Amino acid sequence: MKVPENVLGLSKRKKARKLPSFGLLLTYRKRVVSALSSHIPNSTLLSDTLLDLQENCFPFFYIIFRTFQSLLLRAYLMGISDEKVVAVIMVGGPTKGTRFRPLSLNIPKPLFPLAGQPMVHHPISACKRIPNLAQIYLVGFYEEREFAMYVSSISTELRVPVRYLREDKPHGSAGGLYNFRDLIMEDNPSHIFLLNCDVCCSFPLPEMLEAHKRYGGMGTILVIKVGCRGDLYFLLSFGLILVSLQVSAESASEFGELVADPVTNELLHYTEKPETFVSDRINCGVYVFTPDIFTAIQGVSSQRKDRANLRRLSSFEALQSATRNPPSDFVRLDQDILTPFAGKKKLYTYETMDFWEQIKTPGKSLKCSGLYLAQFRFTSPNLLASGDGTKSATIIGDVNIHPSAKVHPSAKIGPNVSISANARIGAGVRLISCIILDGVEIMENAVVFHAIVGWKSSIGKWSRVQASLTYGEAVTVEDEVVVTNSIVLPHKTLNVSVQDEILL
Amino acid sequence: MDSSIYRQIGTCITMKALILVGGFGTRLRPLTLSIPKPLVEFANKPMILHQIEALKAVGVTEVVLAINYQPEVMLNFLKEFEAKLGITISCSQETEPLGTAGPLALARDKLIDGSGEPFFVLNSDVISEYPFKEMIEFHKAHGGEVSIVVTKVDEPSKYGVVVMEETTGKVDKFVEKPKLFVGNKINAGIYLLNPSVLDRIALRPTSIEKEIFPKIAAEKKLYAIVLSGFWMDIGQPKDYIAGLRLYLDSLRKKSSTKLATGHHIVGNVLVHESAKIGEGCLIGPDVVVGPGCVVEAGVRLSRCTVMRGVRIKKHACISSSIIGWHSTVGQWARVENMTILGEDVHVCDEIYSNGGVILPHKEIKSSILKPEIVM
Repeated sequence: MKVPENVLGLSKRKKARKLPSFGLLLTYRKRVVSALSSHIPNSTLLSDTLLDLQENCFPFFYIIFRTFQSLLLRAYLMGISDEKVVAVIMVGGPTKGTRFRPLSLNIPKPLFPLAGQPMVHHPISACKRIPNLAQIYLVGFYEEREFAMYVSSISTELRVPVRYLREDKPHGSAGGLYNFRDLIMEDNPSHIFLLNCDVCCSFPLPEMLEAHKRYGGMGTILVIKVGCRGDLYFLLSFGLILVSLQVSAESASEFGELVADPVTNELLHYTEKPETFVSDRINCGVYVFTPDIFTAIQGVSSQRKDRANLRRLSSFEALQSATRNPPSDFVRLDQDILTPFAGKKKLYTYETMDFWEQIKTPGKSLKCSGLYLAQFRFTSPNLLASGDGTKSATIIGDVNIHPSAKVHPSAKIGPNVSISANARIGAGVRLISCIILDGVEIMENAVVFHAIVGWKSSIGKWSRVQASLTYGEAVTVEDEVVVTNSIVLPHKTLNVSVQDEILL
Repeated sequence: MDSSIYRQIGTCITMKALILVGGFGTRLRPLTLSIPKPLVEFANKPMILHQIEALKAVGVTEVVLAINYQPEVMLNFLKEFEAKLGITISCSQETEPLGTAGPLALARDKLIDGSGEPFFVLNSDVISEYPFKEMIEFHKAHGGEVSIVVTKVDEPSKYGVVVMEETTGKVDKFVEKPKLFVGNKINAGIYLLNPSVLDRIALRPTSIEKEIFPKIAAEKKLYAIVLSGFWMDIGQPKDYIAGLRLYLDSLRKKSSTKLATGHHIVGNVLVHESAKIGEGCLIGPDVVVGPGCVVEAGVRLSRCTVMRGVRIKKHACISSSIIGWHSTVGQWARVENMTILGEDVHVCDEIYSNGGVILPHKEIKSSILKPEIVM
C-alpha cells in the first residue's frame, strides 16, 4: 500500500522545526496516530511514516494534518474504489422549531447564524470533508424560496451540489429520507449520511464512515457519553432562564438513549426519550447508512399499511384509529428503525469525544455559537477577529466579525461574540457572549451581555442588554435603558427598563 | 446683609440655636457607618454646615449640637469652621435618648443667657431654603411664644399635620398622621422659641411636637409660617437624592455660576473644581461630583452623588445612586436604582448593580440584579 506523496513531502519539510511543548505534542501525537490508524489499518509503511511524524511534528502540524486528512483519505479511497457518498440534512419546517421563537419568526431556524454562519452551514461544511461526496440534500417542509438563495450560494462556495428537497408534509426523519429515495439514489451512492440540522457538534464524518465500513452493518450512529464531556462551558453567569450548561445524566431522557457493545460497538438497545435511566450514551442525530436503509424503511411502512388495512376491515372504529396512528408514510428513525433493529448486527455506534449540543432554544444557540467559534481556532482561524484597541477594537477570546460590519476601535468585544453583516458597533461599546445580527446598531458606551440582538435592532447610548434575552427584528432600545432577562418580540420600542418580561 | 437684618428687627443681640443631631443615623447607612450623619456631604458640603451657615447669616453666634453619638468626631471636625465662620459650636451630649424636647432641657444652661432673646431649634435631617430671617420678623410681629415653619406636602397623612388660621398663622391644633384630610401643611422641624418654653420642658424623654407644642397651641401662643422654598427630610437615601434635585434647582434660581456648564452637562450639575471629567461624558441632571473625583471618558452620570475621591472608569453608567468616598466603579459597570456604595467600595468591570446597598470596604465581583444589601 502506498502513502500519498504529499503527506511524506509535508513531513519532510516540517522536519527542521523545533518542538514548542512536549506535553501538548504528546496529546496531538496520540490523536494523529489514532485518527490515521482508524483510516488505514494494517499499513506498515504508513506506520513508519507515522513514527517519523511523531518525532518531528509539532502542534500546528496537527491542524494542517487534519486538513490534509480528508485529502489523504480521498487519495487512498480513490485508489481502491470510486464509491460515491451523499449527505442528507433534515432541516424540518415552519411548524417545527417553535421553541426557537422569537428568532424563528423571521427566518427558518436552519438559517439562523451561529458563529457568523447559518446553522445548517456547519453540517454542510463538515460534509465537505467526506471523500467522494457527490451531493448534499436538504430535506424539509419549508417553502423552496426560503432556501433558494442559500442553497445556490453554498453550492458555488463549496463546489459541491446542494439541493433543497421539499416535503409536502412531515414524514418523520426516516420517512423523509425514503420519500426522496429515487433522487438520493440517483448517483448510485454506496453510503448515505443523514444529519439533523439542529445539532451542534464537530461532525467527525470521515472518521464515522471509516468505522462504519469496518463494522460492515447497515448503519452507524454517532453517539456521545453524557455527563463527562469536554469543558464545562458556562454560558450564563447570571444563570436565569436558560440554565443548560451541559447535558447531565439526569436530563439524558430528553434524548435517545442507547446501549452499545463495548467491544464490537454494535447497537444493542435503543430507547427514545426514556422516562427512567437507560444509558449514559445518547444519540447525536448523525448517521451513516448503506442503501439497505431504504429496504428497512419500506419494511416498516408496508407493515404499518397492512396493519391499518387489517383494522379497517375488522373494525368500524378504523377511521378514528387511523387518525390516532401515524400514517404509513410517516416513519421515525428512532422508534421505528433504531429500536427494532438494535441487537440484530445491523446497527453500530461511533462515539465522539468532542462537543455536542442540541439547538432547541435561542439560549442554546448562543452556547452553540460559542462552541463553533472555539472550533474555528483549529479549523478556520482566519474567521476569528483579533485586535488590541489601537487600530481595531480590543478582542477577547473567540470573536467573529463580518467584513461589512463596522466596529469602533474603542469598543471591546468578546469572548464568544459574533457580529453579522452591516452591524455598526459604536465607540466604547462592550459586547460579551452575544450574537449581533444583520444591520444592528449599537450606540456609544452600550453594554450587551449574553444576548442575541435581532436584525436591524438599535441599542441606545449607555443602554445595557443582559442575561439571556433574545430579540426579534427591529427592536429599539432607547438610551440608558436596561433590559434584563427578557424576550422582546419584533418592532418594539423600549424606553423604560424591563426585567424578567416577555414583551409581545 | 446681616446688619440690614438687625436694623429691620431693631435689635443687635446675639442669637443662639440648638440643632437636634440625635443618634446613629441608621437610616442613612451605609454612609453613616463611616462618619456621623451631620458630616455626610450634601452637595459637596456636610449637611450640618448648610444649617450652620444659614444660621450665621442671620446673626446666630452660638450653636449647640444635641448629640448622643460620637461628639468628639463632630467637635474635631467643626473646630476649623468655628474659626472660619466666627461662631461658637458646642455639644450637649445625651447619655440616654431624650426625644425631641428633652435635649432642650439638657442644654438649658447653654441656651439661656438672660437676654430673653428667642432661639432656633432645628432638626438636623432637614434641608431647605431656611427662612430664618422671615421667622425672626414673624416672631416679633405675632408676639407669641413659639414660631414654627410648616411646609405643604402631597401626602399629609404620612406626617403630623398643623391646622392653622391661614391669615394670622395662629396654630389651632396638631393632628398626627390624619386619616381624613385636615390640611396639607406639616411641621418642617424648624422652630424659633422664647426661652420661656424651656420652663415647660422637664429633663426626661419628651416629644416637642406631640407633648409641648399642642399645649402651647391650646394657649394660642404658637404660630406657623409657611415655607415658600423647598423642603426635604434627607434622613434616608431616596430622600437624599430627591432633596438634591430640589437643592440644585434652588441653586440654579439663586446663583447659577456655581453650577457646571458645557456641552457634556445636562440640567443642574455641581462639579467640584478639583474633580476631573473625561472626554465624551454626559453628566446630569441633578448630579454632584465631589472633590478629587476622576470621571473617565464616556461615562454617564444622572441623578447621583459622587463623594470625595471616587474614580468612575470608562463607559460606566450611574443613575439614582450615591457613590461613597474613595470608591471605584469599573469599566462598563452599571449602577442604578438607589444603589448606595459605602466608603471604599469597588465595583468591578461590567458589573450591574440594581439597588445594591453595599457596606464599606467591599469589592463587588458579581452583578446585583434585584435590590439587596451586601454586608
